[in-house]
Amino acid sequence: MSETSSPSYHHQKPPFYRDATVVKWLFQLGALALVIFALWFLSSQARDNLAARDISTGFDFLSIDPGINLSEGIDTRPATGGRALWVGMVNTIRLATAGILFATILGLFVGLARLSKNLVVNKLGSVFVETLRNIPLLVQILLYGAILANLGDLQFDSGWDNWVIWSNKGLSVPRVFIADGFYQWVVFMIIGAIAARWAYNRRSRLRDETGQDAYPGFASLGVLGAFAVIGWFIHPIFGWVGNIFGGIEDGISKIPEEALQAVLSILAVVLAVNWIRGFLKSRRTPGGSAHLTDDDKFRIFFAGIGAGLAILVVYVVWPGLSSWIINSSSDLFGVLEDKFGNGRTGGPFGVDRPEVVKPGKFEKYGPSGLTMSLGFAAVFFGVVLYTAAFIAEIVRGGILAVPKGQIEAANSLGMKRSAALRTVILPQALRVIMPPLGNQYLNLTKNTSLAIAVGFSDLVQVGQTVGNQTGKNLSVFAIWMLFYLACSLTISVAVNFFNVRLKIVER
Amino acid sequence: MSTEKIQGTRSDMIVCENVDKWFGDFQALKGITATIAEKEVVVVLGPSGSGKSTWIRCINRLEAHQKGTIIVDGVELTNDLRNIEKIRSEVGMVFQQFNLFPHITVLDNVTLAPKWVRKLPRAAAEERAKELLEMVGIPEQAAKYPGQLSGGQQQRVAIARALAMEPRIMLFDEPTSALDPEMIKEVLDVMRDLALGGMTMMVVTHEMGFAREVADRIFFLESGEIVEVGTPEHFFTNPTEDRTKLFLSQIL
Amino acid sequence: MNEPTMIKVESRPEETSSTPREWIRKNLFSNIPNTILTIVFGAFTIYAIRGVLGFVLSGERRWEAVATNMRLLMAQGYPANQFVRVWFTLGCLMALTGLSLAAWKASGRLPATKISIWIMNTGAGLALFAVLAPISAASKLGWVIAAAIFLLIGLGIWFGLRGENKRPTGSMPTVWFSFGFLAILVLSLWTVPYGHYAFVEGELIAETGRTVAMSTKLPFTVMWLILVGSYLFGVRIREYIPSGRTKAVLVGLWFLSPFILNWIVLRDPDFDYAHIASTDIPLALLFIIGGGVALYILSKPSLGEVGRILAIGLLFFAVFNWIGAFFGWYSMLQKVRISFVLLALAALIAPNFASDRKTRLRFVAGWSALIAISHWLITAVNSPSTLELQGPTYLGGFSLTLFVAVLTLLLSFPLGVLLALGRTSTMPIARVLCTGYIESIRGVPLITILFFFSNILPLFLPEGMEIAELAAIVTGYTLFSAAYLAENVRGGLQSVMREQYEASDAIGLTTSQRTGFIVLPQALRVSIPPLVGQAIGVFKETSLVAIIGAYDILRIANSVVPAQTEFLGVKREGLLLVSVIYFIVAFSMSKYSRRLEERVGLGER
Ligand SMILES: Nc1ncnc2c1ncn2[C@@H]1O[C@H](COP(=O)(O)OP(=O)(O)OP(=O)(O)O)[C@@H](O)[C@H]1O
Ligand SMILES: [Mg+2]
Repeated sequence: MSETSSPSYHHQKPPFYRDATVVKWLFQLGALALVIFALWFLSSQARDNLAARDISTGFDFLSIDPGINLSEGIDTRPATGGRALWVGMVNTIRLATAGILFATILGLFVGLARLSKNLVVNKLGSVFVETLRNIPLLVQILLYGAILANLGDLQFDSGWDNWVIWSNKGLSVPRVFIADGFYQWVVFMIIGAIAARWAYNRRSRLRDETGQDAYPGFASLGVLGAFAVIGWFIHPIFGWVGNIFGGIEDGISKIPEEALQAVLSILAVVLAVNWIRGFLKSRRTPGGSAHLTDDDKFRIFFAGIGAGLAILVVYVVWPGLSSWIINSSSDLFGVLEDKFGNGRTGGPFGVDRPEVVKPGKFEKYGPSGLTMSLGFAAVFFGVVLYTAAFIAEIVRGGILAVPKGQIEAANSLGMKRSAALRTVILPQALRVIMPPLGNQYLNLTKNTSLAIAVGFSDLVQVGQTVGNQTGKNLSVFAIWMLFYLACSLTISVAVNFFNVRLKIVER
Repeated sequence: MSTEKIQGTRSDMIVCENVDKWFGDFQALKGITATIAEKEVVVVLGPSGSGKSTWIRCINRLEAHQKGTIIVDGVELTNDLRNIEKIRSEVGMVFQQFNLFPHITVLDNVTLAPKWVRKLPRAAAEERAKELLEMVGIPEQAAKYPGQLSGGQQQRVAIARALAMEPRIMLFDEPTSALDPEMIKEVLDVMRDLALGGMTMMVVTHEMGFAREVADRIFFLESGEIVEVGTPEHFFTNPTEDRTKLFLSQIL
Repeated sequence: MNEPTMIKVESRPEETSSTPREWIRKNLFSNIPNTILTIVFGAFTIYAIRGVLGFVLSGERRWEAVATNMRLLMAQGYPANQFVRVWFTLGCLMALTGLSLAAWKASGRLPATKISIWIMNTGAGLALFAVLAPISAASKLGWVIAAAIFLLIGLGIWFGLRGENKRPTGSMPTVWFSFGFLAILVLSLWTVPYGHYAFVEGELIAETGRTVAMSTKLPFTVMWLILVGSYLFGVRIREYIPSGRTKAVLVGLWFLSPFILNWIVLRDPDFDYAHIASTDIPLALLFIIGGGVALYILSKPSLGEVGRILAIGLLFFAVFNWIGAFFGWYSMLQKVRISFVLLALAALIAPNFASDRKTRLRFVAGWSALIAISHWLITAVNSPSTLELQGPTYLGGFSLTLFVAVLTLLLSFPLGVLLALGRTSTMPIARVLCTGYIESIRGVPLITILFFFSNILPLFLPEGMEIAELAAIVTGYTLFSAAYLAENVRGGLQSVMREQYEASDAIGLTTSQRTGFIVLPQALRVSIPPLVGQAIGVFKETSLVAIIGAYDILRIANSVVPAQTEFLGVKREGLLLVSVIYFIVAFSMSKYSRRLEERVGLGER
């Protein structure tokens, strides 16, 4: 067709250095090459330097005794480096979860206070927000640490009648602990949740049909509560769930390593082929064959290379990958089998009051209460107050973002205040609030790393100690990155999940 | 369908031969073949979504066509960076939404390209810009920002900005459809003067009066195809195609 | 990083035309729940203020620990006999501030209403203090009198200037109000003896009559005079000089000042003049002349692609010099390597100046100035410092905090813009690289990055190459904050309409011209408020350098002062002071950013 065009103008390929597509891709390939070269160069330097200093890289320190003591955690004298880091991760997660919970509650209240018409409440809220968010978190943590360290010495009668005890050794409150029957009770509760959902739907339908308020929310809560109470006593009937996990464990451990490798590489190829097919399809026109620009050809080329790289990783770079996947997943199911298994007859929870003991010369907190060490308390108060100040602003902004007309419209429809709040204002405000709130949760989690300043054994502090002890700073850094990226991912998945739900509410 | 053949003589400013353009699955231009001579003014008509904008944007390669040949002022539009550069400085374009740069003054809007693309010294560029603003009738607005002007004034600045590059061809994509009636006249007057001055112009517009008075030829497009070509007289008095008649009956 | 989440909140001023009684009723006791709230939280507020005041004024507090160590907290080990350098630095900044205020025509005015309310609020605050603070009755009386004076002044302004609608009329320029406020602060130095001791070079000096205030009252007075004088000077001369040029010069000076003040003034390089005459000056001349000729040729209009290919070749050569130096294939002075990189970059932008002789010559002149300044700075940085110091760095305390924050911001801004451009570009590989970088940096805490750069980075360097602790910190912090800056800039970039790109293409701008003249200016304007928020974040998080061993103000307050034998374990006082300092800076920046945000919103043209 176009080849038969005029004789005086035939298509001529421009020289490569003037071809827009080629220049564009050459530029990118150049950048890529530069990055790869820089990484290769730096890693070769690191290898040489490490060799010169007699330090080996790798992750073998995870199974070697690091010879360190941790200030607190599930295991204060970990037997291996891996165990030590695990203790640090648990501490971080504990701190972050508690922080997120309390910061949200406090932030919500302060945010509402900032909207209050009462002058005193309103100004108090403003002072809280402006003060706390303009002082660096680290300064706050150190200050709280210093203040707590100047509390009185621990005595047998410090605090409120042994329900809450405070001293310069920290804070101790009653502890609710997970007891033997917890996991079976959870199984019971899952069934309860399904039943509650069913009750909710039934009730809402009832409301829709009769027009009477059928209180679906209360109904479903009631069902859930009933399950919780009944499950408290009869949960052992679910002992057989453990056997299922046992069966899965056996099945997984029988998978041969080669099979998994093959599956992984086939997966890579299938993904690449699928992508290319989809891509070609999107470029296809009703007129016939696909119209591929040079750009498109480059893209297809890179998809192919990606698949090749994946296979290279599976077989050459990290041949142990598949056996690692098999072992760890079968381990996981082994643990589950044990937790859910038969012969656990106790209740799901228990409560212990804090206590003060005096094993040697000095008093200290006994194991029964939920004790916040000095370091934990300093970081906890720091992140909670600091993040609450930011959350308060987000909450306030979110509620103010709901147009006034919406509230008036709800009122003019004769809605009750509570109904208007629940069905009109909250859904709209939440849509504005959720994304920045998720961001704040992420920040809080990352900020717990400042615990190192007050000697609380979070992942960073433990990692730093282990790294200095074994010289494996580089490997520790990799573990840090993986852990925090995993946290980010978890939180953003959770926030996204809520966002999607909220969009449905909106419809 | 037009039966013009590509000539390739110097007086052909724009030559399109079997131009096809797809957006994904959707074919926006189907075998467009047309030749526009030097100093010719053509108006492109057609219903909404027929591909008028797409065609005109292919001519200065804001969009890349996928098949066929487009030759502008003797330069073929390909991936060749040098050709694209050349075409861009030889073809001026005026948009429906003016698309002035809001953060710089009117004068800077007009002098930016001459200074940095044609490498004119600042003084020369400013002098030329003032002449052009005079020509489009708003010399006193030079120091203002685009947002402070009326729509008609903005569109005239946009024309001056395009003219500042001393283009050999001007493309207009519905230059008046975002304007109030009294402003339309201001802009059309400028365009008429330009046409009388011998500029090669390709205009997408719904201003039938302008088309009738100024155009040398009218192209009627539908669904990406050129349905009918002719002089205004032929086009408005006895169009041959049914689709053209239908379109005219709706619009007139 | 916790930059404030920017949510726009409209705050309309309440109508206050009601009588005080109605007003109190409306805001505090409108109904029963409201009354209860007021009583409960009012009691809580009083209790809290009493608690804080009791803590601050308690006899156990040892504020002399802070007062004595003020010098340590501000400048750490900077030699006392060289303090004139610090004052000179501050003076330069004051002069620049005054000139900039004049050049940008700071024209805000403060209404008398606002001023009088501020003064009366201060009086009320003092009265509250007098009532609640646990102090002796005699001193309470003094505070009450002070409060009364403030209230009287406020009321005087209110009623003295009262206009028709019962409210004062008139206003005064904000600039002069600020100058007056600063003047009062400076005057107080002459009268109030802040702090009686000084801890100088390891010795406690406790002469009676000698106070911190006395040692700084004269310099601070001079600073005030410089500020006001330069403002007046700027106002006087601004009619005679085109404002565009003044502003360009001032922006250039602001940009250069951290480098010059830090490396030239505060460090006082010990120039080796023989070496300068024999090597440095000829080298600079060589580059000025050789590079100038090359650039003159490269900006020839008829050169076309050949010029671009030559420039890219030059860039390869410039980059290759660094690789060669890393591996030790051939040696070349660092200064020469840097100059070649600059030359390559200049060559890349040369086609933009391919015009008449005059433009090309101006381009060459710009090149000469660039070489002169950069060679001078490089020589200064590489010359040893004449200042004899005990510590590893010549800066410490609050100066270090400021230095790290300013340098990090200056360096991370261009990097952040590049990353944002990469992330929004149409080039897939560049996009993936930038996105991957930004997201992985944003995923991890700053402290791990800082650890990486202070512990692990040395492992990556070639044999014999070392990186100073401070340089490692600034590098790591820059790479970190660039990722966050990039996200803010990206928001701005996404707000630039596609049509702007098309219009720039249609008039023939190249990609880099389009980015530089059309897209970035519009994008950055939109991103100013979040960028200021980011700057606050960077400033606050500079405190983290204390953890990795730099002696910033926080580290000194938290571990150096409490270790002094006189003040063993005195920590809370210092930390409170640090909190207050950080608060003042961060709070005023955030106030400013909110004002900017309103302006950006309003100024939509
Ligand atoms: N970037 C794009 N991606 C996908 N489809 C597009 C794109 N641009 C245009 N189209 C489609 O191409 C067809 C032609 O569009 P075009 O803008 O050229 O119409 P038009 O004749 O200018 O219409 P109007 O008179 O409304 O401006 C339309 O159906 C449009 O949906
Ligand atoms: Mg159109």
